[in-house]
Amino acid sequence: MRIIVAIKQVPETKSVKMDEKTGTVIREGVEAIINPLDLYAIETALRLREKHGGEVIGISMGPSKAITALREAIAMGFDSGILISDSAFAGSDTWATSYILAEAIKRIGDFSLVICGERATDGDTGQVGPGIASFLDLPVASYVSKIQIPNFKSQISDWGTTLRVERLIEDGYEALSCSLPCVITVVKEVSIPRLPTLRGKQRAKRTEIPVWGRDDLDVDLSKVGVNGSPTRVVKIFRPKVTRQCEKVLAKDDESIKEAVDKLAHLYLRLLCR
Amino acid sequence: MTDDKKYNPVTPKIADQLKGIVGAKYVIFDDAEKLEPYSHDEISGREYAHMPEVVVRPENAAEVAAIMKLANREMIPVTPRGAGSGLSGGAVPIYGGIVLAIDRMNKIIELDRENMMIVVEPGVITSEINEYIKDCGLFYAGYPMSLETCYIGGNVAENAGGAKAIKYGVTSRYVLGLEVVTPTGEIVQLGGKLIKDVSGYNMIGLMVGSEGTLGFFTKITLKLLPSTKAEVDLLCLFKNSEEAMSIVSKIMTTVGIVPASIEFMNNCAVKGACDYLNETIPYKQAGAMLLITIDGAEEQQVERDYEAIGEFCLDNGAIEVYIADNTTTSERIWNIRRNMAEAFNAFSSRQGAEDIVVPPASVGTMVALMGEIAEKFDVMIPAYGHAADGNIHTRIISRPEWSDEKWRQILNGIQSELYQLTAELGGRISGEHGIGHKRKNSLPYVVSENYIDMLRTIKRAMDPNNILNPGKIFDL
Repeated sequence: MRIIVAIKQVPETKSVKMDEKTGTVIREGVEAIINPLDLYAIETALRLREKHGGEVIGISMGPSKAITALREAIAMGFDSGILISDSAFAGSDTWATSYILAEAIKRIGDFSLVICGERATDGDTGQVGPGIASFLDLPVASYVSKIQIPNFKSQISDWGTTLRVERLIEDGYEALSCSLPCVITVVKEVSIPRLPTLRGKQRAKRTEIPVWGRDDLDVDLSKVGVNGSPTRVVKIFRPKVTRQCEKVLAKDDESIKEAVDKLAHLYLRLLCR
Repeated sequence: MTDDKKYNPVTPKIADQLKGIVGAKYVIFDDAEKLEPYSHDEISGREYAHMPEVVVRPENAAEVAAIMKLANREMIPVTPRGAGSGLSGGAVPIYGGIVLAIDRMNKIIELDRENMMIVVEPGVITSEINEYIKDCGLFYAGYPMSLETCYIGGNVAENAGGAKAIKYGVTSRYVLGLEVVTPTGEIVQLGGKLIKDVSGYNMIGLMVGSEGTLGFFTKITLKLLPSTKAEVDLLCLFKNSEEAMSIVSKIMTTVGIVPASIEFMNNCAVKGACDYLNETIPYKQAGAMLLITIDGAEEQQVERDYEAIGEFCLDNGAIEVYIADNTTTSERIWNIRRNMAEAFNAFSSRQGAEDIVVPPASVGTMVALMGEIAEKFDVMIPAYGHAADGNIHTRIISRPEWSDEKWRQILNGIQSELYQLTAELGGRISGEHGIGHKRKNSLPYVVSENYIDMLRTIKRAMDPNNILNPGKIFDL
C-alpha cells in the first residue's frame, strides 16, 4: 500500500511575530518546524505501514528550506520525500496549493491513501486536505480520530478495499466507511507521534529528496501563485481584547449571593448567544 | 547558642520608621494574610516555614543600608528574599523580624557590549537577562531549572548551578562585580568590570553562595558569552542505571566532547514521569535515560558531535537514541525531565528532596547505593539530575499509607545512610540548593567542625550582632 502524506513547514508558533505595518508574518530568523498537527498524519501513515506493509511518501510545497521538514519526516520513518518548489508557486492560496499538490500526487500515482494534518498552525484554514480530494475527485474524511482497514488483503491490489474511520464531530463521533483510494485529515486523538531516532536522522541525511517544479508537473500556471489564487487578503488586523473586570467582595451572605447571581446571569447570557 | 533570645520584636514604632525609609506602601505590617507568602520558600513541609513580622521592599542600596543600620540598632533580624523559589529555606525568616524583599530592585542597569558584561539589580528574573540581550549575539550562561521565576540575586546568593554546569560552570563563574550592603549597613563595591582582579581577598568568591548571611547585593555585574547558534538534544534509553552512568564520563574522556548538559533519570524516575505524561516511547524496557544537550557556534559541528555521542551510546548498550533538533521535539523530551516533580507529587505530597553532589566519577556508585537504600526502606527513590557534574536530585517518596510520624522516622533513617555514603565518596549534601536551615543540622556529616568554625569566624567578623539571615548554614 502506498500512502502519501502532505506536510507543511510553518514558523515555530511561540516565536512568531507579526509585521504590524504589512500585517504579514515575519518569517526571517524564525525557526521553521513541521506543522505540529502534521506530526499526527505522519504517525498515522507509519502505523498503517507497520500493520499493512507498503511505503510512505512525504510531499511538501514550500521554499527550498522546507526540505528540512521532509528530512525530519524521513527521520521519523518515511521511505522518501518530494519537495514541490518553484517561484511560480509562491504565494499560492489554499485552492492553488491543493491544485498543485493534487497534480504532484497524480504524478506519484498508484497510491491508496493521502493523509493530511487537521490544519496548519500558520494559515489555520484546514482546507488543503479536502481541496486535494476535490481536485483528485476522491472521497474525503476529515477530522479522523480512528482508522481501520478491516478487509485488507494484499499490498498490491487494494483498490476497492474499505477504510473505516471515526470522525470527531461537534457532539461526538461519526463512523464512516469509504473505499480506497481516499483522502483523510487526522486530529490529535488519532495517535501520539513518535520521535526521530539517530538512525532515522542518519538515513534522512543520506536520502536524496527530488524537487519538482513547473516543468515536472502538469499545472496551468495561470491558476497558481499569487496571481492565480482566487483568495485576496484585503485587510489583516489584530482583534482587540476587551476584558471587563468586576470585583465582588464576598464579605457576608448577601454579597456572596450577589456574586453567585451575577455568575449565573453571565452563564445564561453565554448560553443564549 | 540559640539566636532568638536576644532579638527584639518589631513594634508599630519600628514599622513606622521602616515606612519612613522606603515609603508606607512598601511595608507590610500587622496583616497576617499578606505576610504569609513571605513565610516559606519552595520546600514542601510547614515545619520549615516561619512568619515574618514585617516585610520591607526597598528600592535602592541607600534604603537597604538604612534598614540594616536600624536593624542593628534595634536588634531585629533581617532575612533577604528573592523570588522565594529556593529549596533550602534561605529566605525563610526563622526568627521573625524583617523580610527584605528585592522585587522592586528589578532593573537592568547597563548592557556593556564592548566588555561583554551586563549590570543588573538583584530582582531581575534570570531568564529576562537572556531575553534582553538575545538580539546582541550574547547570552548569560547561568541556567538554573527555575530560571523563569527565580531572581538573579537569589542565584548569586545560592551560587545556583543547574543543567548546564558541566560545560558552563555555576553562577560564581560569571559574577565579576557586586555592590554589597554589609550586615552592619555599609555600602561596599567588590570587583567590577574586570576579568582579573587580585586586590585583596576574593570577596566576591566569599559573597557568592553566602546564602544571604554576609551581605545584601544591590548591583551585580555579570560576564556574558557569545551566543551559541545550534543546539540539539539526545534522549538515550538504557537498560539500567549502571550502563547509563558508565557512559557519562566516557562521553567526555573517550568521545572527547563536553556537552552543555547531561541529565540522568533512573528507573523509578523514568517510569514515574513517563506514566504521568502518557509517553509512548518504549520506556518500559528502559531502566534509565540520559538527556544530553550539545550546543555550539556552528550547525555542522553540533551535528558531528551529536552523531559521535549517539553512536557511542548505541555501541555501549543504548536501546534507542532519539534526536531533537527543533523546538517541538526538544520540548517533548525535556517535558519528561521537567515534569518529574509533578509526577511524584501526584503520588504523595510527603517527600524528601535531596541535592547530593559527589565527584563526577562517583555518580554511578551513588545511584546504585540509592537503589539499595530504596529497597531496604521499601520506598520509591526517583533519582534524576545533572549526572555529568555529580549532582543528583533524589526524591524520597513516602508511601501514602504511612503516618506522619512513621514517615519522619523513615526519612531520618534514609537521610542518615545517604549522607554517610555521600561523605564516604567525598561528596556534599548540597550541590546547588544551599544549606539554609533545612540542612544545617546535617552539615557535620560531610564537613569538619574546624570548617564550620571557620565559617562562624567569618560570620562573626562581618555581622557582629548576627542580624543578617541568622540561623542559616550553621548555628553560631
